Amino acid sequence: MQIATPVLALFRVCIYAFLLAPIVVVVLASFNAGNFLTFPPQGLSLRWFWTFLQNDVFLDAIAYSAILAAASTAVSLVIGTMAALYFVRHAGREAETVRVGVLLPLILPEILTAIALLFFFYEIGIGTEHKIALFTGHVLMTLPFVFLNVTTSLQGRDDSVELAARTLGASRYTAFRRITLPLIAPGLATGAVFAFIISFDTFGVSFILKGTGSAPLPIQLYDYLRFNFTPEAAAVSTVSILLTLVLVTAADLLFGRKA
Amino acid sequence: MTEVSLRALQKLYGKTLALKGISLDVAHGEFVSLLGPSGCGKSTTLKCIAGFEEVSDGRICFDNKDISRKLPEDRDIGMVFQSYALFPHMTVAQNLAFGLEMRRLSKSVIAERVAKAMEMVQLTPYADRFPKALSGGQQQRVALARALVIEPAILLLDEPLANLDAKLRNEMRGFIRDLQKRVGITTIYVTHDQDEAMTMSDRVVVMFDGEIAQAATPEEVYDRPASERVARFVGNANILELPVMAVRDRAAGGFDLTLPGGTPLHLAAPAPWANGALRVMARPEQISLTDPGFGQLGGRVAKRYFSGGHVEYTIDTDCGPLLVLGPTTQAVHEGDAVGLTFDASRLWPMAPESGAKP
Ligand SMILES: Nc1ncnc2c1ncn2[C@@H]1O[C@H](COP(=O)(O)OP(=O)(O)OP(=O)(O)O)[C@@H](O)[C@H]1O
Ligand SMILES: [Mg+2]
Repeated sequence: MQIATPVLALFRVCIYAFLLAPIVVVVLASFNAGNFLTFPPQGLSLRWFWTFLQNDVFLDAIAYSAILAAASTAVSLVIGTMAALYFVRHAGREAETVRVGVLLPLILPEILTAIALLFFFYEIGIGTEHKIALFTGHVLMTLPFVFLNVTTSLQGRDDSVELAARTLGASRYTAFRRITLPLIAPGLATGAVFAFIISFDTFGVSFILKGTGSAPLPIQLYDYLRFNFTPEAAAVSTVSILLTLVLVTAADLLFGRKA
Repeated sequence: MTEVSLRALQKLYGKTLALKGISLDVAHGEFVSLLGPSGCGKSTTLKCIAGFEEVSDGRICFDNKDISRKLPEDRDIGMVFQSYALFPHMTVAQNLAFGLEMRRLSKSVIAERVAKAMEMVQLTPYADRFPKALSGGQQQRVALARALVIEPAILLLDEPLANLDAKLRNEMRGFIRDLQKRVGITTIYVTHDQDEAMTMSDRVVVMFDGEIAQAATPEEVYDRPASERVARFVGNANILELPVMAVRDRAAGGFDLTLPGGTPLHLAAPAPWANGALRVMARPEQISLTDPGFGQLGGRVAKRYFSGGHVEYTIDTDCGPLLVLGPTTQAVHEGDAVGLTFDASRLWPMAPESGAKP
């Protein structure tokens, strides 16, 4: 059936509006001059950004989330790349098991992964007091994104380039560093950006596993919004949206065309 | 001098024996082809020589030194892959330099040898191109130069021409062959194309089911195949089963056979197993067409295919359909009655399939 182009265009606009409207609302609300989180904003002002920049709770939470995201991304990159290499190059009959295993945190509702980990860490006597529980949760949540992106950049190439490097005198490690790594770099970069953002934004796992003490940004925001309803929360969100945007744009500029 | 020596090589994949005891000596500077149908173990043999696969049993020696347990990077080989396996993120010059960098040569030496290698394969203008921006034939030459620039002791090629079109493939055959002779490098070449193996090699190794069926010069393999299977694999073969009338010398050769119709046919080749009847092979170009009533055997033209340089006939005879290659100048048409003459000096007896010929 032929759909008229204007209808299609309208449809497209509606989808974008649906996806982007909440973000626009939050961003606009963060420039609110009034005392309450309302839309449309009552006058424009940067006062809530100023308030937020003086609020150690949020600054700490952002720093905490950034460190957590960076650390879990780093670990995911290593484990995810190894899993992807195994899956594409070496796994025989067990390939599908490996794939499903790694992707399980993506397939299951996040809350299930979180609760399973909660049980697990209490069962082995560690509990959530140590950051290791939260950290493990974040690695699990981010792993599938690294795995998927690296897998994609590996698939469609056989291992003959690495073998060629070996015959030319490269050790296994050198062949990986000089040949494999550059080839999967776009996948690694995209995977890293995804992993970082997922870790930075994820709520369920952080909520269940955070323990006491400092908490990631989404949890802090949630706690804050339960008792305060000021545009400061919107200002925090705007900053975090900006951060995401910068990351994605940078990755796209660096690797977009190659990926 | 023996450069490469495979001794009773076996390779087991799980429960399947892909190589069932391959023994082969390749002399210094020799060009040897491994020829066989898909799945016969050609690539597996090459992978074992390169060190990508561990051998399950037997030994591989280079220059009489056992290297079966050495890593690929320590074997001093150059390899060309069917997919070329060029490094896509490096330019042509960088691809060629890689192996020299691994050998920690100085920048100036590397630059010099890369330049020389690029000249050798006529790619100098493409030094700064990435592989993606080259044609298949050019990529092929880069792969060849990259394998040779490190001046390895042995060159291995696994179906390097399989991805090229027919015309380019013919060109590259000559190119690789000439280059190999010029450099004088010991070469093992894997292919499933018998023309390729014949035209390029000093020696052809025919493999079936993980075993060597025959290892000999192209002429020998073509004219004196070790078995019917080899005969059929390396070219078109007419096999005639003919009764033996008299034996002059079983081992040295000398049999009188009869064709249907009673015409005698003399076979000069040895056939110690001869007993009552012999299966003999005649290549299509070893049979010529004559006027009906003449020749050693009568027949009728069933099919005629003109193919430029010559004409291919299928002739129905009392020995079954025979394939004959004739000159284009002969005016013979489908349905015509013809006579056939055999080039008796080149008739070759087929050993029975079970029990190899000595
Ligand atoms: N990694 C492997 N695991 C299991 N079996 C294998 C493996 N590689 C090869 N084989 C088997 O070993 C046999 C020989 O394979 P090989 O690749 O050497 O064949 P080939 O002669 O190169 O054929 P082709 O012309 O198709 O490339 C085949 O039966 C194949 O199925
Ligand atoms: Mg093969």
